[in-house]
Amino acid sequence: MKDNIFAELYNKLLGFFRQAEEEESAKDVACNRLRVVLMQDRTNLTPQLLERMRSELVELLSKYLEMDKEALELNLDQEGEQMALMLSIPVIRAKDEEEIEKALAESEKAAEESETDDEETAPEDEPSEEETEEADEVEETSPASTSEPVADSQPAKAAAMKFPNKEICGDCRECELSDDIECEKKQQAASKKTTK
Amino acid sequence: MSGRVIVITSGKGGVGKTTASANIGTALAKAGNKVVMIDTDLGLRNLDLLLGLENRIVYTIVDVVEERCKLKQALVKDKKNPNLCLLAAAQTRDKSAVTEEQLKDICEKLKKDYDFILVDCPAGIEQGFQNAVAGATEAIVVTTPEMSAVRDADRIIGLLEAKEGIESYRLLLNRVRPNLIKSKDMMSVEDVVEILSADLIGIIPEDTGIITSTNKGEPIVNDEKSLAGRAYMNVARRIMGEDVDFMNLEEETSVVAKVKKFFKGLMGKEK
Repeated sequence: MKDNIFAELYNKLLGFFRQAEEEESAKDVACNRLRVVLMQDRTNLTPQLLERMRSELVELLSKYLEMDKEALELNLDQEGEQMALMLSIPVIRAKDEEEIEKALAESEKAAEESETDDEETAPEDEPSEEETEEADEVEETSPASTSEPVADSQPAKAAAMKFPNKEICGDCRECELSDDIECEKKQQAASKKTTK
Repeated sequence: MSGRVIVITSGKGGVGKTTASANIGTALAKAGNKVVMIDTDLGLRNLDLLLGLENRIVYTIVDVVEERCKLKQALVKDKKNPNLCLLAAAQTRDKSAVTEEQLKDICEKLKKDYDFILVDCPAGIEQGFQNAVAGATEAIVVTTPEMSAVRDADRIIGLLEAKEGIESYRLLLNRVRPNLIKSKDMMSVEDVVEILSADLIGIIPEDTGIITSTNKGEPIVNDEKSLAGRAYMNVARRIMGEDVDFMNLEEETSVVAKVKKFFKGLMGKEK
């Protein structure tokens, strides 16, 4: 009997302290809210722009991975002087080869159709341009990444790992050419880079 | 002599800019410096009230700018301290009555005769702020541990960093309530400093004495027993380049400390 009483008391005490721990204090709420607001103030990224960036990222990444679109979290964080873009995406499953190729073909079609529009709107897309710079850096190091703007290196790498025996064109990821024969897409990309 | 021009600013209104100006100015003068305070809040002047000089003002900064009087004629001497004087703002005009160039010019002239020129800045980030900052090389950003005040302070810091004339700025954290910080209901000094990543010049505890001192027109630094008064005195010493430790507010305000003090006082009397 005595043991039971003590066990109960212990559990109650434990529960009490846990509750106290879990509850976020007013000060923590204030700090967190302030950090988010100040980040927006400092970067000139309005909530609308952040949302647009989010949806563009979802659109891009969902070509390669099936993921929980609603749960994608996009945050700007400050660590000392350095600002970091934190992206958290719950992946439901990896898409297989066919699905990826199909999605890529579709997006390319859409891109061709709206190519003239893209050029006009391109300078407005500040957030995506930042991303492009990062993506460019990744391209130099990994041979099998895409030349798409706003590319995340992870899904591209994963796709390449799946069929390592085939020679995939490192530029459009559709034709199976080796690197010395340039596909149209690569030429386009090269001309774009020089104009930049 | 070449004095230092320090602007006291905040962005948000009501955080204690004018109170801070009055107290820092008085404290610097008490320490033996020649100090002049400029109220640049045209149309909403209050620094004269906090110093208890409202009945002595004859000429204002607008009269100086529009050449109705000489600069020296417009300076009002403090009641107690001959080292301290005030250049009041005009109550009947708006912020456009003085330009950045004119304020710069006034600061340059005052630099020759005074050690410190404190510029009390109006709230906001419009022309009034631009004018006040124009002649200054240092800034004190007043804020409180509240979200709106911290956000506005961040904005002001951004603007100050973009100003060429401003060489340094430091943070004055006002109306700190140790009890609320202890219960985690208020952001701590460390939180605010981390979020704004700026250097501190002082921590001023919330003190009801501020209200009575304002009512009497006498800055709280003149009351050496008051906590806020001592904190302002420390700010002045830090401005003068002394290395002064920050007060441990938690200790100073706890009930135990007060009881101990009380008994110490009794023992002292008995002896």
